Amino acid sequence: MQFFQTPNIDFISKRKIAFILSGLMFLIGIVSLVLHKGPNYGIDFKGGTSIVIKFDGKVTVPQIRSALGKADLGKSEIKQFGSTNEFLIYVAQQKELSAVEMAQKVEKTVGEQIKDVKYEIEKIDVIGPRIGEELRKAAVLAIFIALIMILIYVGWRFEVVFAAGAIAALFHDVLITLGAFSILNYEISLKEIAAFLTIVGYSLNDTIVVYDRIRENLKIMRGDNLATIINASINQVLSRTVITSLTTFTVVLILFLFGGKVLHGFAFAMLLGVVVGTYSSIFVASPIVYEWQMRHGGKRGLKMAKKKRS
Amino acid sequence: MMGKNNTKWIVIILLLLWAIYALWPTYRFNTLSQKEREKLENKGKLASIQHRAIRLGLDLKGGMHLTLEVDFPYLVEQLAKNKDPQFETILNEVRKELNISTEDFLTILERKFKEHNVPLNKYWGQRGESDGKILSFLDKEGKKAITRSMQILTNRIDQFGVSEPSITKMGSRRILVELPGIEKPEQARNLIKSTALLEFKLLKDPEVFSNTIKKIDRALAKEMGVSMAEEDTTKKKETAKQKESKDKVVSVSELFGEQGVTSNDTSGKAKSDTSILVDERIFKKNPFIALLRSAGGGAREVSVPVENIAAVNRILAREDIKKLMPPDAEMLWSSETFRIGDKQYKELFLVKKDAELTGKYLTDAKVNIGQGVQNAGRPVVNFTLNRRGGRIIGRVSKANINRRLAIVLDNKVVSAPRIQSQLGMSSQITGIPTMDEAKMIAIVLRAGALPTPVKITQETTVGPTLGKDSIKRGSYSTILGFLLVIIFMVFYYKMSGIIADVALVLNLLILAAVLAQFRFTLTLPGMAGIVLTIGMAVDANVLVFERIREELNVGKTVKAAIDAGYSRAFRTIFDANLTTLMTAIVLYQFGTGPIRGFAVTLSIGIVVSMFTALFVTRVIFNTITSRRTLKKLSI
Repeated sequence: MQFFQTPNIDFISKRKIAFILSGLMFLIGIVSLVLHKGPNYGIDFKGGTSIVIKFDGKVTVPQIRSALGKADLGKSEIKQFGSTNEFLIYVAQQKELSAVEMAQKVEKTVGEQIKDVKYEIEKIDVIGPRIGEELRKAAVLAIFIALIMILIYVGWRFEVVFAAGAIAALFHDVLITLGAFSILNYEISLKEIAAFLTIVGYSLNDTIVVYDRIRENLKIMRGDNLATIINASINQVLSRTVITSLTTFTVVLILFLFGGKVLHGFAFAMLLGVVVGTYSSIFVASPIVYEWQMRHGGKRGLKMAKKKRS
Repeated sequence: MMGKNNTKWIVIILLLLWAIYALWPTYRFNTLSQKEREKLENKGKLASIQHRAIRLGLDLKGGMHLTLEVDFPYLVEQLAKNKDPQFETILNEVRKELNISTEDFLTILERKFKEHNVPLNKYWGQRGESDGKILSFLDKEGKKAITRSMQILTNRIDQFGVSEPSITKMGSRRILVELPGIEKPEQARNLIKSTALLEFKLLKDPEVFSNTIKKIDRALAKEMGVSMAEEDTTKKKETAKQKESKDKVVSVSELFGEQGVTSNDTSGKAKSDTSILVDERIFKKNPFIALLRSAGGGAREVSVPVENIAAVNRILAREDIKKLMPPDAEMLWSSETFRIGDKQYKELFLVKKDAELTGKYLTDAKVNIGQGVQNAGRPVVNFTLNRRGGRIIGRVSKANINRRLAIVLDNKVVSAPRIQSQLGMSSQITGIPTMDEAKMIAIVLRAGALPTPVKITQETTVGPTLGKDSIKRGSYSTILGFLLVIIFMVFYYKMSGIIADVALVLNLLILAAVLAQFRFTLTLPGMAGIVLTIGMAVDANVLVFERIREELNVGKTVKAAIDAGYSRAFRTIFDANLTTLMTAIVLYQFGTGPIRGFAVTLSIGIVVSMFTALFVTRVIFNTITSRRTLKKLSI
């Protein structure tokens, strides 16, 4: 069985449309980020105390809010989490109480105020303020290091212009995913950062497959111009790109649907990442190589193509 | 050619056998019935099986993960000599900076002292010693404190009885503690947080205590007299309330003016302890005494309703108030909260600052049920001192018969019995409300005091239900993802798809075996990593198969197409997987706990998929094509 015979789509000539589309998504994401005053950081990065409580009977958010109100815990958020009688309570860090003391206070207050319903504490997360900041720095550093390593590796195995295209595609993927998170007001915690880094890996995987074919075709299709070569390469690997994206998307969708609330944000980021990453390896990474070559190295052509000739 | 392929089969079979061997304990441990489990436990074999089974992270099996921070400012303060107000000022600045900066403690310390133009040798080391030398001395002491703290914590946790705890150092001043299967997080926190500094301090005479209180009272009344007039207007509005009860709620700032409120509170948001309970009848004349009660009869001298504790603490923390206290004394709270009527109280004590005796002379501590009239049926902790400690307490008690001796644990008075007769080497701590607490006190006393207090800066606790739920969901996702991908591959690539599926099964087996053999921890994100591996691992085969199809389309023979497909796709697969592996490694470096689990399964999955999808499938193809020449390939 085969989805399609090697197609013959002219991707390069449609690059302008792709650039506009990407630019638009970019812009929407950035506007949303600006309006929301940066990403919506989860507890890992902003610090504080969060407790997940599961009640045996019916309890409502207002009930919990009024219970907590009596303890005067400052700024708090109460969200339904998972099943009906399960709630996530977040309280921001206060100056006088340590985060751990806040957790104790929340536990105690809920226990005292909602007496008639049995409950179980499912999860407690306490992050001191400095730890949150450290993690934030570490996360940014990690993404940065990953990108630098990729730049060096791709630059070495291919050519610098390819590395630039790959990095542009990665930024594209992560920023658009980040923008989507901002629009939906989803929180970004450590797990989501892990998802972003995985998106980087996945998208790069796709991009390299295309690049590799371009590299090969540069040697075979000597008489052709760059646009033809890139188009042919993308078309040749297209069925692979679609199949791998499909299997990956399927498993990520399963995680999103059945993986439970703990993995929800992670799976959502991956879901977006697979789509955007696949798109970018076709419509961003290679067209950028083309644009660059046309503007700066048009006459000279790519070194890799030259090597074979000599 | 055939011989070469046979060797490859042997490699694959050996690997498969190893995987089964490595996974056997995991299978065994998870399929044991309750009865078999008990039987093996009695034989002492269960632990060894459990040890070789795949280790589950705290997010799956439930438990606590804590990050502790050693209080370095406390440590250097203890080590310092010639402490003066300037020292306190600088150290306070260091503390503040430490709370917001991510810099190293000693770097901050060095900078702050430089800013104030004070050489470190004024307080540490010898005269004229260089800053560098002193810093390295402090650094060494800090490291010693961490090592010692870890020993003591290990001791406490062992005695508390946690299976497979983990206590590791993280960075320069943090300790990571992992306690699987903890049911009562509160208890575990107390176990770890308690410095376990045991001190015996004599109470000051009741007369001295009441005089001190009166002095503070007068000072406050004088200060308030100024602002009282204007406040009268607001009071009148609440007269109705006053008639109902003699206790009245007022705000701290109303009572003591803005001075009484510490700088922490300038945020302006109302906090719980800004409203307090005062004795309305006397609070104008006696603002401090109004906060106190003589509840509880003769046994307790001064009790304070819990609502007022924060207010009292604030007053006592004021520099001008501190000066009113006897220079050799300090006020301490009782650790126990007691209830009279519907109000809760803590007791306030005035004790001598210098301890008569500390816990370092302690040799043993045990929990018992109290005897005698007062403590019958209540938990007590019996402790034994060494000979030197016994001599000291004997001398002290003999000289102070009929006075009260406070037993102070971590700056809180556990009990303050009256000395009836001369004490010996063994004695008793009473006044502990619950058996659990008594056990805890005994454990921390036996394990010894921490060299510095520790602060819990991060905690993650996962209850057993959520853990089980996560395991269920993780496994479910893995199985479902696996089935879908396997079916798709057969559907799309026919027989070749089956070969790819064999590789995928082998991939998962080896991945799990590596986890078990090398004792990696499986977390929920780790399970997500496995699910992702399933989706991505087939990529290598997809690349090869698509390539083979292309080569077949060009008109190559089956064998030639397979050869070309593998050799041409190899470089692509290698480059693509290596970059993914790089991001996974970065993730491992940066992540903690659960995230690391993800990086681990993803990395192993990538590496193993290179082997199974390229090597194993190739061997299978070779075997098939070598038997007979295929005219058509099912792909």
